[in-house]
Amino acid sequence: MTRFSVNDRPVEYRMEPETPLLWALRDASNLTGTKYGCGTGECGACTVDIDGEAIRSCMVTIAECEGRFVTTIEGLARDRSHPVQQAWVAEQVPQCGFCQSGMIMAAAALLRTNSNPSDAEIDAAMTNICRCGTYLRIRTAIRLAGRVIRGEERIAAAPPPGIRPADAARAVPALRPARRN
Amino acid sequence: MAGIRDTVGKDKSRLPHVSRRAMLVGATAAGGLALAWSIWPRDYQPNLTAAPDEHIFNAFLKIGDDGHISAIVPQCEMGQGVTTLLPQIMADELGADWRTIAVETAPISPLYTNTLLVDADSTTFTPRTGVPDFVSDVRSWARREWAVRNAVMLTANGSSVQMFEEPCRAAAAQARVLLMMAAARRWDANWEDCDTQDGFVTFGAKKLRFAEVAAAAALLEPPAEPVYRSNSADPLYGKELTRLDLPAKIDGSANYAGDIRLPDMVFAAIRQGPLGATRLKSLDRKAGMQSPGLLHIVQHERWLATVARNWWAANRALDRFAPVFETAGTPVSSDGIDKALKAALKEDAYRIVSEGDVADAMEGRTKIAAEYAVAPALHAPIETRTATAALDGERVRVWVATQAPAQCCAAIARATGLPESMVTLFPMMAGGSFDACLDHSVAVQAAIIARQVRRPVQLAWSRAEEIMRDLPRAPARARMTATLNAAGGIDALVARIAVPSTNHEFRDRLFDNTPADVAQRAAAGKADAAAVEGAANIYAIPHVAVDHCPADIGLPTGRWRGNADSYTAFFTECFIDEMAARGGTDALSYRMAMLGKAPLLARCLLTATSLGGWEGGLSGTTQGLACHSMRGSHIALMATARQSDKGLQVEQLVAVVDAGRLVNPAIARQQIEGGLIFGLAAAVGATTDYEGGVATARKLGQLGLPRLSQCPQILVEFIDSDRDPGALGEIGVPVVAPAIANAMFAATGRRIRRIPLSGHPV
Repeated sequence: MTRFSVNDRPVEYRMEPETPLLWALRDASNLTGTKYGCGTGECGACTVDIDGEAIRSCMVTIAECEGRFVTTIEGLARDRSHPVQQAWVAEQVPQCGFCQSGMIMAAAALLRTNSNPSDAEIDAAMTNICRCGTYLRIRTAIRLAGRVIRGEERIAAAPPPGIRPADAARAVPALRPARRN
Repeated sequence: MAGIRDTVGKDKSRLPHVSRRAMLVGATAAGGLALAWSIWPRDYQPNLTAAPDEHIFNAFLKIGDDGHISAIVPQCEMGQGVTTLLPQIMADELGADWRTIAVETAPISPLYTNTLLVDADSTTFTPRTGVPDFVSDVRSWARREWAVRNAVMLTANGSSVQMFEEPCRAAAAQARVLLMMAAARRWDANWEDCDTQDGFVTFGAKKLRFAEVAAAAALLEPPAEPVYRSNSADPLYGKELTRLDLPAKIDGSANYAGDIRLPDMVFAAIRQGPLGATRLKSLDRKAGMQSPGLLHIVQHERWLATVARNWWAANRALDRFAPVFETAGTPVSSDGIDKALKAALKEDAYRIVSEGDVADAMEGRTKIAAEYAVAPALHAPIETRTATAALDGERVRVWVATQAPAQCCAAIARATGLPESMVTLFPMMAGGSFDACLDHSVAVQAAIIARQVRRPVQLAWSRAEEIMRDLPRAPARARMTATLNAAGGIDALVARIAVPSTNHEFRDRLFDNTPADVAQRAAAGKADAAAVEGAANIYAIPHVAVDHCPADIGLPTGRWRGNADSYTAFFTECFIDEMAARGGTDALSYRMAMLGKAPLLARCLLTATSLGGWEGGLSGTTQGLACHSMRGSHIALMATARQSDKGLQVEQLVAVVDAGRLVNPAIARQQIEGGLIFGLAAAVGATTDYEGGVATARKLGQLGLPRLSQCPQILVEFIDSDRDPGALGEIGVPVVAPAIANAMFAATGRRIRRIPLSGHPV
């Protein structure tokens, strides 16, 4: 059986039951924010949230996901408002960006159960590989996101997607409101 | 298509007016400006397309009726921030509101040729010794002309800002003048009396949005020479603006080549066998064809591809086909590579650098020598090589990240037999690269597969293929020899470096589509000045020689973040440290005594040691130094490292960088941090052994790449500077391994002369 929830929607995958979750998400659901980097659980680029836990989606089959709740980067927030996402932009973490979905999912899962992790706890939770060298900013961003979650700080670093041209024109004088025909 | 023309700088003989920018940055910059202007190709029209409400001003800018400004970026975004940096330069000159800036990838056009890189290449490639200046000038002119005709839009060597700052600024200046001209007509004013700010043309108290005059402005004829914005109360240049690509990189919406989804698309996996002259010999067709989900197979002389409804099914089918490959000649092995390097070191060499007279200076003196060895370095980006291809009638469309789009198109055309005009390339962001995207195999393979299966296909290499088929940064071996003066300083230095002629291989592959093994064979024995670049560029040593001993290692090699400097800096900076330790001199003062002709680097070194709290480098401390200059930038690094029960522990890196003026200090800092961690990975791993023609590593976890927990504290400082920008992408890489090796010597008394540092001593 391969029926479970992905980003709060019920899904049944008509694929081989031993298909790794990663490929069901990417190639069947077109949720391409979750990345393939190694297929052996080492890089963490495919990290998703399954029932609150950060899991490498290349290492679980869709059969093993039966009845569980899977959240991908696309489902973390509808409008980039998750504190981890906001902190990621505030600290300018991403470079090439390829590993970042997995990093963000791992950080979000860590902070859900522990909003004030120690260095050692961050080290233990963040085992993903980044080749651009964003590690130190990740540590700083997790701390910032923790403060936001604990209500000690607020940030608005990244705009939501899909801003309407009329709203943009209201905020930015250089833009011209669309003419009505 | 009103407004499509290239009216910038039609008159070759004229140079621009002295500008605010030139005033700002001084005489040398003015010289640079004139040069950039005169080499900007002028016989070509922009080939941009525009939406109905968008207006093309030139090859770099479009402005919409709604006020959005599209900045055209002719470089590959691979994390270095180029899709923010070049737009930031343009927005600054234009007087735009940063919130109105959009980014588009440039189409292939000679207008975007990276002439700087071609020039740099031509001077480092062939030794200048013995070539009269006029011959050299003619050669570089010819190379530049050739590069422009072939639209060599390379992204490499961190040259994006160095190359495109002036063209971008000139393009923005031109657009700004046109906007002012159109506004001035409405006001019946002189355009020279107008100004721009925050996306408006201003004239006294009058204001008009760019949006309102863009349509009229794009039809006007600009002055023949660029007129630059004279001042700005709040310049965008130098601001720590948030990268434009970040929002898409935190919600999974940023698209890489593997994220393209097309109707009816299928997924392909590939197996290519050992490096070398390899051909596909046989496969188990019966077992393979029964693989669940398999749709097609594509057999090529050199590889086998399987196609299925998802990538995992395709990749699994490859196992069942169990393809067998046959490789001609001696299979590559680590032993063979070591032997070839050692042998090359003993044979005749090409003298690439010669200052003073080393033979005479060393005659009858006590020579001190040491040998160093550096393993091949893998790119190992997290994104494996990936391309998406689809047919459009007889045309083929390919989505791929490439650092050389025109050459990628040419490679696809040649492999498919289509004319280049029938190949459409959609340049994508790269998930890392580090120069891996200078290889176009995956794009070619995807196009071949799509033409066979007659439907859109996405090909991704597995991680094992990515490791096994990577063309690594070359392994190298050096023998450093010095004689000392009475004070213990270096009087004469000879660096003999055995390394393959990588840049000849690279050129043959990139421009002639030569297979890697053939290019490797053809390059064997050739002089390659770029392969020993950075070996002797900073210290004032009276007699210096750098020799290239071309090594035929059988393993094809490629370009990589840091290139030759990543090993030459290791050789030099470790050897300098050895000489200092020998005389019991502080490694800092030993270096400072020889940095008389390199004041910028000396300042970096003094600042880094003062920030890091340099204790004199005595034995028993855990500190080590290294410094280096490349491509207009300078770096000094102080590393703190020790041997612990967990092995080599790097605790802190303190880097001070002078990279000239910074377009965006926040992105510059990212680049240095990233370079240091890339250098750290290369110092401790990012390599593989080779056995029987294949890499012994198959998994990412076998490469010893550092994770967050292994990341040292990092402190990066920039020296304030008005110099023209230096390159930032690579400068962090070369200093890491020598600084750590020198720190390890201070800590343990053991000299590590090999990379990776965790390996055995030479």
